[in-house]
Amino acid sequence: MTGATIDHMVSVTILIAALMIAMLTYSNMFATAVDYDRNRQVANKAIDLMNTICLSPGNPTDWGETNAPVLGFGLQDPRVEGYALSPYSIMRLKTSTSDSQLIEYPPDSGIFYNNISAQFGDSILTPLGDCVNYTSAAELLGVNGTYGFSIDLAPVLDISIKKLPASHLVFEIDVKGSGLPLSFATLNYYLFHIDAGVATSTIITYSGTEETDLSGSKVIEFTDLDGDETEAFHFMVYARLSGLSGVGYYSQDDLQGYPQYIVPLISDYDEGIILIAHSWGVHEYTETPVPDVAYNATFYSLTSDFHLQQIEIENSTGQLNYGSKDYETTQLPASEVGLLVISYRWANRLGSVVLPWGIGTLGVSASYSSGFGSSDYDFVATELRQVTIDGVSYQVKVSAWKLGS
Amino acid sequence: MRTVEVLFVIVILLTAFTITTQFAVLPSPSEAFGTNLRELSQSTLETLDMQGMLSATVFKDQNDDAWGDLQRAISASIPPNTVYNFSVYDLTANSEGIVTYELEKSISDANFGSASDVASLMVTSPDVTFTQAPQKVGESTGQNITLYILNCSDANGWWITGYTGQSLAADLCDLLSPYFTTTVLINSTDQLGSLLDDSLSVGNVEDAVILNTFGEAVPIPDEYCSGGSKQTEGYDPINDGGTYARYFHTLGSVTGQYNWTWVSIVGWPFYYVTNTNFFVAQQNTYGIYGMEDVRTSGVNAFLQGLDNQPYSYDTTGIAAGVGVVEFTTEALDSCNYYGIFPSPYQTASRALTQSIETDYNLERRATIFNLKNSRVAGATFKHQDGNGALTAIGLTRIPDIRITAIGLLMYYNPTIYRSEFGASGTSRLVTLQLGQQGGT
Repeated sequence: MTGATIDHMVSVTILIAALMIAMLTYSNMFATAVDYDRNRQVANKAIDLMNTICLSPGNPTDWGETNAPVLGFGLQDPRVEGYALSPYSIMRLKTSTSDSQLIEYPPDSGIFYNNISAQFGDSILTPLGDCVNYTSAAELLGVNGTYGFSIDLAPVLDISIKKLPASHLVFEIDVKGSGLPLSFATLNYYLFHIDAGVATSTIITYSGTEETDLSGSKVIEFTDLDGDETEAFHFMVYARLSGLSGVGYYSQDDLQGYPQYIVPLISDYDEGIILIAHSWGVHEYTETPVPDVAYNATFYSLTSDFHLQQIEIENSTGQLNYGSKDYETTQLPASEVGLLVISYRWANRLGSVVLPWGIGTLGVSASYSSGFGSSDYDFVATELRQVTIDGVSYQVKVSAWKLGS
Repeated sequence: MRTVEVLFVIVILLTAFTITTQFAVLPSPSEAFGTNLRELSQSTLETLDMQGMLSATVFKDQNDDAWGDLQRAISASIPPNTVYNFSVYDLTANSEGIVTYELEKSISDANFGSASDVASLMVTSPDVTFTQAPQKVGESTGQNITLYILNCSDANGWWITGYTGQSLAADLCDLLSPYFTTTVLINSTDQLGSLLDDSLSVGNVEDAVILNTFGEAVPIPDEYCSGGSKQTEGYDPINDGGTYARYFHTLGSVTGQYNWTWVSIVGWPFYYVTNTNFFVAQQNTYGIYGMEDVRTSGVNAFLQGLDNQPYSYDTTGIAAGVGVVEFTTEALDSCNYYGIFPSPYQTASRALTQSIETDYNLERRATIFNLKNSRVAGATFKHQDGNGALTAIGLTRIPDIRITAIGLLMYYNPTIYRSEFGASGTSRLVTLQLGQQGGT
């Protein structure tokens, strides 16, 4: 009898031990399966978001070209379709993630502008009231509170331009894509050289076509121009090869220690109204004496074969002085993507600033997110696609993660 | 002994547990997602072809420098840890129309691992333009057939709710005029009178198609109205206190005389006459002025005239509702052939009885809808002696003019001459296979 009891006790003990091991092991397996399933959901959500963002123009389809409220979120260019994004819709995204990145103009007016930065000095400043903020986009995409996401837009081609030391103006251009040099690419280049006029400045355009060598480089020389530090210019290069295209630029001002004098701000999308503002009112600079700036604005539309065509605009020249004449307005042809090149002069100091009308025309990168990032989350799914914006090749990356536990 | 049994049980349990854990292998959560290579590949192909550069390159000679440019462009487009295989297939069609794909060229930068995906794009040579040209109606039989569309400004329509006769005339003109050598809009009832007299100098009155866009109402010239110079051909003062059934008898006779095809686009044919100048104070009992009802006797009178029978006032209702009807196989084939796609299911509230074929010596052709309850919801009734036809579409309102177009095209059957879009040398299939190196 005692032997049977011991047998039962041993067997029950071992059975319980076996069950516990099994439960422990299976619970780990179940946890793994649940994690896998949840990650799969996030991955599918990333694909959904990417498809919606890249392959739908949103509602109304031309919301990027108007001040209209957005009823459906999507960035596809309705006039091109396919994997082409609207340069205007992207300009309406509130890319700034903190209030400190916003610009208030006029000062203390309560009117803020979102800042999509290009290189130093050049930026797209859009009225915040017309911008689509992250929360609105998340609501329109149906992920508010459930999934976090971010959108990153970056040109495929990296076009770096260096000014080489020489007795005349010389640039070295390197074109790369995904780390590889882009050899034998066609280069359309434009030099907007700022010349001092009698009391103002003028934009002299030099343009031409070249081709990169085997290493993706090209040296372009302007033997008529000195290129020293007293000259001001914007140098643009559009590179293209077999359907792949990109843009790079280089600028130089001669402001003798002063910040830039002019800042263009987009006042109205519908009408293409631009404020050409004295930058002391925008950035609240304190340098004195305050520049009495003469400006000269020219709009160049970008054609499908990457040539720039000059288009006349109103108030193309004027005089600005902070306190007496803070800004002037002009109007761009709203349906034409291109570049607004503004040269300015005060005393013998020359400079220029470029406003891209459509982010692709200057190869501007943009990021759109909540600002909190995804670093606190275990699993982030990313989706990558190739697109074009204004004919310029971009890569779009959409990241998605599950909010909450 | 029991200890041995218990040990056996334990061994069995552990074995079972071990076996199940061996089979229950789950993927790691981190493997839930890899880069979506197919969409990346698709978007790469589409963006490279956005300005037609890809299409232009893949049709070039294999030794052309453009292939090298394309290779560099692909390499520069895709992420650094991604390898690719770009292939171009030529489409070859044999004499029986069977298309085969032959590898024309392939570019690859490395061998693929296990993770790869592929997308494809059909591209057309930039030198090829896809066109289609319809044969003109009557061309195959040597006839010069004119399409006359009633667009009378002094007429009102009925059973065409939401449209006017004039707006339908414009749409039908756009839809059908490519198939006819000459299309003429009859812009007034006066011009209609000239057409009936063969005094209209435009188009060819013989073998013509007359398309009535006013639904159940038919425009009537002044002279055929009561008191007009041709009232004996248009007005019957004896029956029903005076009726214009006589006018429809005349229309039937003229249709036979000139070998017309009279087309009624919707509803009960010949139910009203309309002339907004003459019937200023008359309305169709539904508030539409400018018309007078003839009712059921109208279509009977027309068919009498078409069959060369003497006029006899007959109020027998030969149309009735049959509910939902569906396209015949022939009609579906025509939709595909001509690229016109109305809904194959329609509601017929005015389907003509099949007995008219024997009563008036008609031969039914180009049947649009399958017969239901021995009624014909849409077809062309050709007189057996070969002169004159009536295309009647007895559907409920609102009219779908695409059905009229299909009915007419089925009847005349013009050929569509298409350029060979998928022929050898004009289209190529491009595939881009992407693979990731170094894991996901």
